[in-house]
Amino acid sequence: MIKNFFDKAKNSHTWKENLVNLTTQLLNYLIILIIALFIGAVVMFLSGKDPIAAYAALWQGAFGNGYRFADTLDRSVIMILAGIAGSIAFRTNITNLGLEGQLYIGAFAAAWAGFTFTNLPAIVHIPLCMIAGIIGGALWTLPVLYLKMRWKIPELVPTLMLNYIAIRLTDYLIAFPFRDPAAPMAGSPLIAASAKLPKLIKGSTINIGFIIAIVLIFVTYWFLFKTKIGYELRMVGLNQDFAAAAGLPVKRSIFLAMTLSGGVIGLGGALMIQGFFGRFLGGFSSGYGWDGFMIAIIAQNHPFAVFPTALFYGALANGALTMQSVTGVPQAVVAMVKGTLVLFVTVKVFVENIRKGLRKWAM
Amino acid sequence: MTEALSVKNITKAFPGVLANDNISLSVEKGTIRAIVGENGAGKTTLMNVIYGLYQPDSGQIFINGEEVTFSSPRDAIAQGIGMVHQHFKLVPSYTLAQNIALGVEPRKGIFIDEPALNKSVKAIADKYGFQINEREVTVDVSVGEQQRAEILKALYRGVEILVLDEPTAVLTDIETKELFVMLRNLVEQGITILFISHKLREVLEISDDISVMRAGKLVGTVKCEETDECQLAEMMVGRETIGGRMRETKQKGELIMEIEGLSVLDNRDLTAVKDASLNLYSGEIVGGAGVDGNGQEEFVEALLGLRPLTSGKIRIDGKEIQELSTREIREAGVAYIPSDRYRSGVAVEGTIWENMVPGEYYVKPYSNGLALAMPEIMMMSGTLIQKFNVATPGLDAKTGNLSGGNIQRVIAARELGLEKAKVVIASQPTRGIDIAGTEAIRQMLIDYANRGAAVFVISADLDEILSLSDRVVVFYEGNVLDAGYYDETIRQRISWLMTSGKDYCVD
Repeated sequence: MIKNFFDKAKNSHTWKENLVNLTTQLLNYLIILIIALFIGAVVMFLSGKDPIAAYAALWQGAFGNGYRFADTLDRSVIMILAGIAGSIAFRTNITNLGLEGQLYIGAFAAAWAGFTFTNLPAIVHIPLCMIAGIIGGALWTLPVLYLKMRWKIPELVPTLMLNYIAIRLTDYLIAFPFRDPAAPMAGSPLIAASAKLPKLIKGSTINIGFIIAIVLIFVTYWFLFKTKIGYELRMVGLNQDFAAAAGLPVKRSIFLAMTLSGGVIGLGGALMIQGFFGRFLGGFSSGYGWDGFMIAIIAQNHPFAVFPTALFYGALANGALTMQSVTGVPQAVVAMVKGTLVLFVTVKVFVENIRKGLRKWAM
Repeated sequence: MTEALSVKNITKAFPGVLANDNISLSVEKGTIRAIVGENGAGKTTLMNVIYGLYQPDSGQIFINGEEVTFSSPRDAIAQGIGMVHQHFKLVPSYTLAQNIALGVEPRKGIFIDEPALNKSVKAIADKYGFQINEREVTVDVSVGEQQRAEILKALYRGVEILVLDEPTAVLTDIETKELFVMLRNLVEQGITILFISHKLREVLEISDDISVMRAGKLVGTVKCEETDECQLAEMMVGRETIGGRMRETKQKGELIMEIEGLSVLDNRDLTAVKDASLNLYSGEIVGGAGVDGNGQEEFVEALLGLRPLTSGKIRIDGKEIQELSTREIREAGVAYIPSDRYRSGVAVEGTIWENMVPGEYYVKPYSNGLALAMPEIMMMSGTLIQKFNVATPGLDAKTGNLSGGNIQRVIAARELGLEKAKVVIASQPTRGIDIAGTEAIRQMLIDYANRGAAVFVISADLDEILSLSDRVVVFYEGNVLDAGYYDETIRQRISWLMTSGKDYCVD
């Protein structure tokens, strides 16, 4: 009898059904993407631009040749890390609106480790800077955690406010104590060559940060869905009262999810400094923390879905520059497309719901 | 005296329950009528019919002698009937005045005329002698003041008949006294009040007439000065001995759980449990009877380590556990079936297996170090799901898609299936479950006690208590009162304790 049950249980989730589910999901996203691009096109058309030429330039800029494609992959690294950081927090039902600030602190910590130590071998220096980034990002969540645990203050506003403090604090640090007069803009000294990430392809900015990001996707999946701690995080996220009544370590899970989220985005900051900028620059992030927030929403907090979403965001970011310079269509159109995507995913404009809606409407 | 409200032959059925069975009653203008009865006697249904929330299957409603029909509360309000629910319906961020006038605000063009609004609310409050700071924001005021705002909300709309559903359940003693003074004031100004309550002492203090309901029927109406707690309690529960007893009373075994002098605060930091003591013995089922909100939830949460104690000791097998974490308490052998299965019984968005293993996932063989051992977890969950007859398409199915009864089976399978627990604490274990599911869950508890565990069943359903318990305690205003062992007169003792806190009646 038990065997029967297991056969039944197995049969209920055959590969066929899984495939159908996956296809429906992909179809969902495809439809939403088309709608978003269409809305962007309408706006361009109404303002007298040629949407087809604009999207062609966007595509060219993102994937036009091997190097551009590689640059797009490089740009998606920070998107992946930001998306994962957001996903870990959201899975635990923590609204970490402080990714941007944690990114700045992590990046600065990594840069500091990069320019302070000068005679370390690369094999030590590279991971040292990364660890500094992780710790920096994680530490920046501690004030929020203290307020949440001690006074039951929801994390929403404190995380948000700490963004501004982080940005201004790092501005101060590079303007006074760690100012490099030789830097073209306000920035820290250059990090040592031994802290820089090795490139993967000559002629592109892509570096081993990309490999780290890919590995991190799999590690996060394993961590969230296959480990004890991941189970705790997810159960606390799904229903905290249930988790508490069952004896799960609720406080520890919240603490862990928050610091991990900050640590991952801090690592993202380290990778940007070590792989791309080579020094901490004031205002270096063009809202990557916020992108991470959006990417996590679109990917519904699943690490495997974070990858294509982040890649798409990376492509938009790189392609938008080309689009603007070639066709004169402002980059803001891209922001609009991104916004529409998030909106449609949040209100679940999915095939199954559209079908339901049509049925109701028909009646 | 003129008649303000009357209902004739009201019948209202829900699937499986006849909530109101041919009810007729009439209320005189300017009086306070109390409606008393046990949980599920049909009081609230009757009030909802009168307020237009439900449409009766048959029967008529008359206001001031004229027949009316309501299709919604809006109609009822237009005819002068207002209701204050047990759970307030106020916008927390609005001022009291804004809440009171919500939807019928005085206007100036398209804008709300705030000064006129505050003035009109103040005028109504003064007219009926209500003390209220109408400009305070609702979240900042006491529960008593919020309730005054709720009552004023009805009066602002010009109602003359006011229905209050358990108005004292959320109030402190002082707030209750204040409420009663205000109600007397209202009645003197010609307002008619219907008042639902469980607490006979309060009912005798405030009302003019008392109608008693039992199992959907109106048992009778008595004048307040001509009755007493004994008569009312008897009318409420009846004299008949009950059928449906599922258990032979057993000899108790050795002492397993000892609760001594337990005191606990509620969410508002008021005393919810006062110096309560209880011993649970192996092989014995103890029933915890009582009207909801008399400290049951706080008592149970304290036992589970979910709520801090202000004083007291809890021992399992002689070892103190009151300082331990929930996990450690559960490891000491406590199984828990919470009263609200959707709130704390399961994660409805989680899969079946995820809801089966929160007590096991971290120990061998269900985990090897860091990772979950999925084959073992699936095997264990599958076996228990099978054994407890949970109807589900598979272990990966979303738990929220199951019926309430099946979700309760999932919880029972998780808590009882591995037979690790020495103590089972089951709070409202069959609330909202169909008859077959109810029988099954009760049988599981009985079987579990027969295997030597101490079982503590808390239920607001007296029939459930009587069908399962060897011994009964009653929660009354935070006290845990002993109603003794099961015998022919236990129903009477429980009902006295539930309504007055005394287990005897002096005629």
